[in-house]
Amino acid sequence: MAKSRLNGRCLLERAASSRASQASMEYLLVVALTFAIMVPTTYLFYNYSKESGQEITDAQATKIGRNIVDTSETIFYSGQGSKTVIELNVPDNIVAAQIIDGREFVLNISTTFGVSELVFFSAVNMTTDGSECSINRCAIPGLGNSGLKKVKIEAVDKNSVNISTV
Amino acid sequence: MGLSVKGGRMKIKSQAALEFLTTYAWAFIVIAVTISTLYYFGIFDFSKYLPQKCIFPSQLKCLDFSLLPTEVRLKLVNNLGEDIQIQSISITNDATVPISCTADATPISWAHATQKDFTFTECSGGAYLPDERVELAVSMDYFAVNTPSHPIHKVNGKINGKVTT
Repeated sequence: MAKSRLNGRCLLERAASSRASQASMEYLLVVALTFAIMVPTTYLFYNYSKESGQEITDAQATKIGRNIVDTSETIFYSGQGSKTVIELNVPDNIVAAQIIDGREFVLNISTTFGVSELVFFSAVNMTTDGSECSINRCAIPGLGNSGLKKVKIEAVDKNSVNISTV
Repeated sequence: MGLSVKGGRMKIKSQAALEFLTTYAWAFIVIAVTISTLYYFGIFDFSKYLPQKCIFPSQLKCLDFSLLPTEVRLKLVNNLGEDIQIQSISITNDATVPISCTADATPISWAHATQKDFTFTECSGGAYLPDERVELAVSMDYFAVNTPSHPIHKVNGKINGKVTT
């Protein structure tokens, strides 16, 4: 009698254990399937967004460069004493800005494959504060980091326009 | 009597535990072998599902490229608005022994708003193999012809694609 009761309890325990292992196995399968979908999807979207981010930075930097050069030309041809202040949103990847030989406005942008220079050519002579110039290169430190910047462009004399951050 | 019942229950439990372990050890081995095989055949190399792309700054936009077994070809357009002269052009990658190619002879004159084809020949090393997915970094130095001091500017680009057979 006692033995048959013991066998019955064993069978019940086994059935309960089997149900529990089936539930665990199902849980594991669901988790594994979720991971199998999530991991590749995350990887693909991350890579897409990384490349899109580089294209966006390039577009923003190009817009900033063209804006500064076009405004410089407009101010220069408006005559001596003309000035304006433009607001620019500098993206994270811009690491330096400089004027070379008075005609090249250069933005250095950092990408995953190295630092590239975006060069914008001006028809008018550009300059900046004398303290930032050495030989034919003038740095504009205010544009070398991200954020909202105010740039003053002023026709200081009849030969050149001065570009500085305020 | 009580002791023998206890001993019997323990025996059943240990047998169940051993059976469980044996079953799951086999399952673990089967899963490990399957995953290794899938890895070997490149199933987990998700980068091959990314589009083939050539990324350059918009001022020297990449129009097209091809990755031949020993050659890399690149078509760029000069959107700088100025005539430039290329002083050097090189290609490399992140492999332990980077790819080595023979670039076009420099200097190269390049008029504004025109396209130019660049060819890197005799490419070897850098895991540059047919049917393989590769990522190559292209670097170029140039100066604007009309700027008096001819300052050198650097442009970097990236090619991500599959080498054709």
